[in-house]
Amino acid sequence: MFDAYVTALGMVLDPYVLFVITASAIYGLVVGCIPGLSATMATALLVPLTFFMPPVPAIAAIVTTSTMAIFSGDIPGCLLRIPGTPASAAYVDDSYQMTLKGKPELALGIGLWFSVLGGLFGTAVMMVASPAIADFALGFGSVEFFWIVMLGLGGAVFIGSSTPLKACISLLIGLLIAMVGMNNPAGQPRFTMDSTEMLGGVSLIPMMVGMFACSEVMRHMVSDGSAPHAVVKKIGPIFASMWRLTKQYPWQLIRGSALGTVIGIQPGSGADMAAWMSYAMSKRFSKEPEKFGTGHPEGLIEAGASNNSSLAGAWIPALVFGIPGDSITAIAIGVLMMKNMAPGPTIFVNNPQNVYAVFLVFVIANLLMLPLGWAIIKVATRVLSVPRRVLMPIILLFAIVGSYAINNSLFDVGVMLAFGVLAFVLEENDFPVAPVILGVVLGPLLEEYFINSMIKSDGRLIGLVDRPIAAVLAAITIGIIGWTIIASLRSGKPSKQPAQG
Amino acid sequence: MKFNDLFGGLVFLALSGLVATASWSLPNPSQQPLGPSAFPLILSGLLALCAAILAVTGARATEDGPLIGLADWARSGSALARLLLVPAAVIFYMLFAETFGFLICAPLILIVLFLAGGTRPLHAIGLSLAAALVIHSIFYLALGVQLPWGPLEPLRW
Repeated sequence: MFDAYVTALGMVLDPYVLFVITASAIYGLVVGCIPGLSATMATALLVPLTFFMPPVPAIAAIVTTSTMAIFSGDIPGCLLRIPGTPASAAYVDDSYQMTLKGKPELALGIGLWFSVLGGLFGTAVMMVASPAIADFALGFGSVEFFWIVMLGLGGAVFIGSSTPLKACISLLIGLLIAMVGMNNPAGQPRFTMDSTEMLGGVSLIPMMVGMFACSEVMRHMVSDGSAPHAVVKKIGPIFASMWRLTKQYPWQLIRGSALGTVIGIQPGSGADMAAWMSYAMSKRFSKEPEKFGTGHPEGLIEAGASNNSSLAGAWIPALVFGIPGDSITAIAIGVLMMKNMAPGPTIFVNNPQNVYAVFLVFVIANLLMLPLGWAIIKVATRVLSVPRRVLMPIILLFAIVGSYAINNSLFDVGVMLAFGVLAFVLEENDFPVAPVILGVVLGPLLEEYFINSMIKSDGRLIGLVDRPIAAVLAAITIGIIGWTIIASLRSGKPSKQPAQG
Repeated sequence: MKFNDLFGGLVFLALSGLVATASWSLPNPSQQPLGPSAFPLILSGLLALCAAILAVTGARATEDGPLIGLADWARSGSALARLLLVPAAVIFYMLFAETFGFLICAPLILIVLFLAGGTRPLHAIGLSLAAALVIHSIFYLALGVQLPWGPLEPLRW
């Protein structure tokens, strides 16, 4: 293991990789800081560029961008009361109240400092836990993996969504899209409509760029697009009170980081759920719960640490089983597969240095967040004033060229547009988009594991549950799905947010 | 465009029917017990089930409401026109990029979208040219992507 870490360190300290990390960090910070541009969109737009990179810098770019964007989403939340990413929404009241009281540097400092500590905590857990879980998972067969994938999909649809029925339909659409092409156990062309371009299936990169970037541009086009103005023009020293707060609230830091990591590991629950749950827990155990929402640092510390630690946590199932916890790790798994680093327990045996390089990138990205985060906070009011009406057309052009670049194919530009329109229509009607991506990424694996398991058991369904670990995984998956259905029936409606007529 | 859950459910029900029909006809050359049609058939069945539940709950909630409603933005002609500019811009690029090249198509697309967003004309022209050149440099010079040149081929650098 030590030798692999030394090799990984050499890979990560390569000047080209360090340049990619720094550039992605600045990019992630700027995009995350602008309201309306999400961390997922930042990551999706980057994927066409990673196509041209070797594996380690490609993954480094994804990891760094998402880490930075999740933190920098705190900035517009604090200055404008508009969270840059959903993960910052839980504590936006507290941070904005601090700004109104003339202390934006305190709110931003807490966001930065405790995000770094939370991120490093999650990374440490990932470094220790992933190889151990992978070692355990080496004995798994197709049946166990079938249930692991089902657990990932079930969790994503039934835990992470406020509209389970619509999320389920989104997931099924994604799984059906994954059926297109010849990538099936029989090697038979399916649903290709006699198009040679479709034989290889739907191109993942144009699809993700369309769903996360093109649809965002369309949403902007129907909004008024005016840039909100920050109430502050100058931000004071950021780190002045951080050491004092760390000593004052050590349990909040540890509890937030630990809960964030655990929530991150659970499929389907990402940084935003981690932030909300940690904020609620902080209030529940606080000696001064009445101060929450009025510019009190306690909840900010716990939830700020939590959302960044959950990012590293989400990579544990992503690396060990290839199960994405959220849309960002779904994109990351797509990139890993493109780079012949298909995630799974064997990656720890065959390419440990590549996995350890991912761990080290997490450490570097979190450490780099301190100086670069400080810099973005200092120029935040200027970044926030960049009008979206200027950015969005440029993002669309970037999406067009990025989709074209993968195969030099205008067909892929059409794929990008089609999925952009699909995502726009789905979101307009309260269907979540992330399950579509999960379905497309995991569909081929799910089919392969299912068919292999069925062949092994001569077509008997009992073969899916006749091994102890498979039976436990099946029970957990069915339990999650059953519990959500029962909860929905008790509340009298299968989806909590039905579309308006 | 917003459609209510009854309409949505019926659309997805039709989609599941289409998938099931297309799956039945898939050949199974190696005569495996579960051929290439098995998994799509299971998925289309599950989609039909979910779509039916959505349609039923939608029907209960809708009563006499319209099947297809319009979001607030869709009642504004200008918002609708701005929205349609996005697919129009992408289709324009697909149709004319090979003929006119990236460095002509891209600034044209950007100028139209900037003007639609309310950017002043001179700013729109300047920004479009600058943005197109930067994106061209990133993909053509840095990544080696062969972007089409069109009539500017003699100027290729």
